[in-house]
Parts: sequence; structure tokens; C-alpha cells
Amino acid sequence: MGPGGFSLVPLESGPPQFGVSAFESRPLFPSRAWLDSGGQETVWTDIWLTNHIAQAVIAAGLVIGFWLFVSRRSQVVPGKRQFVGEYLYELVRNGVARSIIGLEYRRYLPYLLALFSFILINNLFGQFFLFMFPTFSKIGFAWGLAAASWILYNGVGIKRYGLIKYLSKMTLPQGVPKPLLILVAPLEFISNFLVRPLTLGLRLFANLFAGHLVIMVFVVGGSWLLWSTKSSSPDYSPIWNVAGGLSILMSFAVFAIELLVGCLQAYIFTVLTAQYVSSSLSEEH
Amino acid sequence: MSDPKGNDGDGLTALSLILSGLLLYGGLGWAVDRLCGTGWFLPVGLIGGLALGVFMVIRRFGASS
Repeated sequence: MGPGGFSLVPLESGPPQFGVSAFESRPLFPSRAWLDSGGQETVWTDIWLTNHIAQAVIAAGLVIGFWLFVSRRSQVVPGKRQFVGEYLYELVRNGVARSIIGLEYRRYLPYLLALFSFILINNLFGQFFLFMFPTFSKIGFAWGLAAASWILYNGVGIKRYGLIKYLSKMTLPQGVPKPLLILVAPLEFISNFLVRPLTLGLRLFANLFAGHLVIMVFVVGGSWLLWSTKSSSPDYSPIWNVAGGLSILMSFAVFAIELLVGCLQAYIFTVLTAQYVSSSLSEEH
Repeated sequence: MSDPKGNDGDGLTALSLILSGLLLYGGLGWAVDRLCGTGWFLPVGLIGGLALGVFMVIRRFGASS
């Protein structure tokens, strides 16, 4: 949008330098440089220690702290603190673990509960001050969780049935005529071992990424329309400012939707993990 | 627990089966076309994979109800 370039909206200056750059991880600490004994200068940056990694670690700390806090000194008649904890615990225990996995749900409950609260807190980071960024809109974090769930549901299946029996259970469905099996087995294999983790990770990432992008369009674009339109330009019309103001107002509705999406995605990820575990354990496929 | 009670994942299982069929047999058809210089394996593979995926979905979810 430089001079001579076509610009729909007359702006005071160039396009925003902030906004989408929130998706780029920044190193938490600045680079350090020092001279070694040979007089050689070394520059060191902790490139792995970024603001987003820190955010995920803080979320993990919050999850641990929260569950320790609400489960401390439990009493028969729960107080407010214990009530909140038990309410959330039973939500996952009865609503997800017991209703999907069935009798053996107890063994998988700790993982499911940790998974649910970790994803939920990270998603809420997208709406709340200090971070204002949902961790799972960086796809690597979503792959990490998908990998954890993949290892879990395959691990319990292999442990129960042994590798060969588990593989045949997952790839050879019952009640299919023999000649069709040769066509169906690779399909089931791809569906159970490749598409499952891919969709698990992508669904979480894409929902959070798209949501955060929409919020940025509304907020950043709206504030630019509102404050940076050039009133001396012949193209200027107050409608730009009005549109910007409306866009910022609308962003609150988008925030509300994102709140819903964040909770929903945490729930869905947990439910699907439980479902995969249950399908690995089930006798017939 | 041979029959998972939760219904939230059923639609996704169906989607995953149909997607796998399309990807696998469409991909195979595409590869055969590339190697042999033919042009009709890709559509056949896509349609066949889709049909297989739908067949698997019907077999899995049609029987229980």
C-alpha cells in the first residue's frame, strides 16, 4: 500500500506491523554475546525457550496447582473449594471416562482429566489478559498431544492383545467377506493409525488458529479503520471509522464464540481419546 | 465393552473411514496413472475407495441399529 499502490481504505501509514506476528514464537530471553579465551565472539540465543513454550509450561503448572488445591484436605461435607474440584472431576469421570471406556475407566481417568484441563486452560489463554494467545494455535503443541494420545491407545491395545493380535484386530473387521478383506485392511489401517492422530491434532489446531485469526482481523483491522484513516484523503468517508468501531464491538461476540469453541475442543479431544482407548480395548472391532 | 456407548465419535469414525478410502485408493490410482501413463485409474480408484469407505461405514453402523 505504498505510494502509487492501490489502497481501498485511505490510511495514515502502511499496513500494521503487529497482529498476525503474534503467531511467531519469540525467544524469551535476548541473545547473549561473550568473548571466549581465544578472543572469538560467541552469540547465544535460547531459541527453544519461547514465549509459547513458557505459556504451555505455565498452563501445566496451573493444572497441577489447581488439582492439588481443590483436592487438599478433602472432607465428607465438601466446602466451596472441594465442591468446584469434585464438580469438574465428575464431569470428566462420569461424562467422558465412565460412559465411554466402561468398567476399566479408572486407569485412564488421570490422563483424561489432565488432558482436558490442560487443553482447556491453554484455550482460555486465548481470551485472557497476560497471554492473549491460545497455545494450540501453534500446530506443534497440538501434534504433541495427538502423539501422546496415539501412544496411549496403541500402547494399551498392544499390552492387552499383543502386537500381532492387536494389529489384526484393528485392521481386519469382522463380518466382511474374505476377498474384500484385502481391499479393506489397508483402509482400516490408514483410518485407525494415520487419520486418527492427524485429525486429532489438526482439529484442535485449526479451530484455535482460525478463531484467533478472526479475532485479530476484527480487533486489529477495526482499530486501524477507527484510528488510522486519513481524513485529508479525497477517498475519506466517515463510514470507515463507523465500520471500525462496529468491528471492534463485534469482536466481543467473536471472543464469546471463541470461549465456546475452546471449551468444546478441549471436551472433544478428551472424548475422542477415550473413544480410541475404548476401541483398542474392546473385544470385537 | 464391545459397543462404545458414546456417540460423539461415531461421525468422526465414519468421516475417517471415507477419507481413508478416498486417499488410499485414489492415491493408488494416481500412482498407477503416473507410472503407466494411463488416465482412468485415478477416477476408478477414487470412486472405488469412496464405495469401500461407505461400505465400511454401513457395515459398522448399520448392523447395530
